[in-house]
Amino acid sequence: MDDGAMACTTLSAFPFLTPDEFDAACRALAERTRSCTAAQLDGGWSSARLVTQAQAQAQALEDEDEDEDPEALVRTNLHPTLQIDYDIVLSPTYQVPVLYFVLRWHNHQGPVGLDAVYQYVVPEQYKQQLQNVGVMGGISFGVGAHTYVLFLSLSQTEKGKTGWYHPESGAPAFFVHPCNTADAMAQVADGQSVTTGTYLLIWLGLVGQSVNLHVPRELVVSDGPSPY
Amino acid sequence: MDNSASPAAIQKSIWDGRIPLEIVLAPAESRSYDKTDAYLVSYPRVSYLPSLLPKLRAFFSPYLIEPGSRHHYGWFAFEGVPLKWHYPVGLLFDLYAGADPATKSGFGSDVSRETAAPFPWRLTVHFGDWPAEDLVRLDENGMVMNDAFINSVKEADFLRNGTAKGIMTLSKEDSSGLWKAVENVDLPSFQRISHILLPPPSQPFRNVPIRIFLPLPPDEESGSLKVVQSPLSPSVPSSGVQPSQSISPRSSPGMQPQTIGGVLHTLLPNLFPSRRTPVLAKPVLHGAVLPMSAPIEEVVRSSAYGDGWAYVVVRMMG
Repeated sequence: MDDGAMACTTLSAFPFLTPDEFDAACRALAERTRSCTAAQLDGGWSSARLVTQAQAQAQALEDEDEDEDPEALVRTNLHPTLQIDYDIVLSPTYQVPVLYFVLRWHNHQGPVGLDAVYQYVVPEQYKQQLQNVGVMGGISFGVGAHTYVLFLSLSQTEKGKTGWYHPESGAPAFFVHPCNTADAMAQVADGQSVTTGTYLLIWLGLVGQSVNLHVPRELVVSDGPSPY
Repeated sequence: MDNSASPAAIQKSIWDGRIPLEIVLAPAESRSYDKTDAYLVSYPRVSYLPSLLPKLRAFFSPYLIEPGSRHHYGWFAFEGVPLKWHYPVGLLFDLYAGADPATKSGFGSDVSRETAAPFPWRLTVHFGDWPAEDLVRLDENGMVMNDAFINSVKEADFLRNGTAKGIMTLSKEDSSGLWKAVENVDLPSFQRISHILLPPPSQPFRNVPIRIFLPLPPDEESGSLKVVQSPLSPSVPSSGVQPSQSISPRSSPGMQPQTIGGVLHTLLPNLFPSRRTPVLAKPVLHGAVLPMSAPIEEVVRSSAYGDGWAYVVVRMMG
């Protein structure tokens, strides 16, 4: 966990990730995040955590306390607040990361459902594009039995919606369909130059935008280890 | 039965397979509490529970305390555990019902097993208090269920071919037809469409879509199922060498079909110390014990559920 070594090895099967590469990529992103203070993280990230498979069970309990976190209280005292918890999970089928997310209201009982995700989470310019995919659009409810390894949390006030829970618990969560991820990665990046240290940043840039998860500038500029 | 059964015959008997269900309305939602008549149905293994909801809603409507509840508010539980509706009922039965799986020698001769059989399988239907922490909500038009099914089909397709282009290029009629065929348990229509998706028998799968469900701890509260999934090549190097990722799946010299026992031994060595003989646990599919020697690609080609996956349940011996 805490070896701190930033192994930025090249990938054996880009755009795909093996479990070991995914693990290394998550560690690298967590490390990068840790080197930025919360204040430096624009884009509203409130925390990022690395969770390994063995820890995932205990994590579910810890998340209960998360709501009592002082920072969260400050933010939620007066206003309805939407917290979005994003999980990055390796799909054993597609062998690419999948972005799961859960919405939690604080101080407000909001409506629940996919409509609310489109209303509050998906930026305007992505709505049509996402809704035109597949049976129900590019976001589905899913019930994962996956290991979630990286936990990112983003808080926003005055926006919000809904709640389905963590993939690891087998509970409902939203996810962005991963079936085009590999093609998209291959289109924007050159397999030679992508490493475990940069894969997830590129991936977040591709996948995160559509569900309001933006890569804070500080993660890709000076503070962190160089992305390339 | 054993070696003479063709893949087509096996597939037909799986699609013909039915489970007797006795469905009761949750007492708290009934005007007559637990005196409500039960709904009895012989239900196909490959079907999904929500397809029953419109009929159940109609059947129980005289009893419902909350007359405004809609059919898509309906959800099922077995012994208090909410059942994941996106799994076919045959899998749910194999997971939860505790029935002894059939073996090569059949059930017939063993009378004690008959009496222990949990038939009919007794489920409770609720039309209120949706367990939002356990189950994804349904919608009135069945779109959510259709979406879940197609996503699962896509995953299987991706594993078999290395791309999801097959299902993406399927015509709209065929893509909705595939789901309709499963809903209606219409094997001929299903075969026509899945024929478009499946690589011909001469062309091996790239990976074989199998999910393995681990035994549930007896006190397991809810849907936290433990599922094992890993890329599984249809063939592995002969002579028991470790399978390597770089090996081509095409059958070539030095390769042999990967078997169920080989997969279980590799992925779950503690539960399956031998790749030939079940010692501590046995693999169950469609209510029957799978032979350890069965090649995984043949198992999936003949015995997958409608979404293209073989869902193998691991049961402890004894």
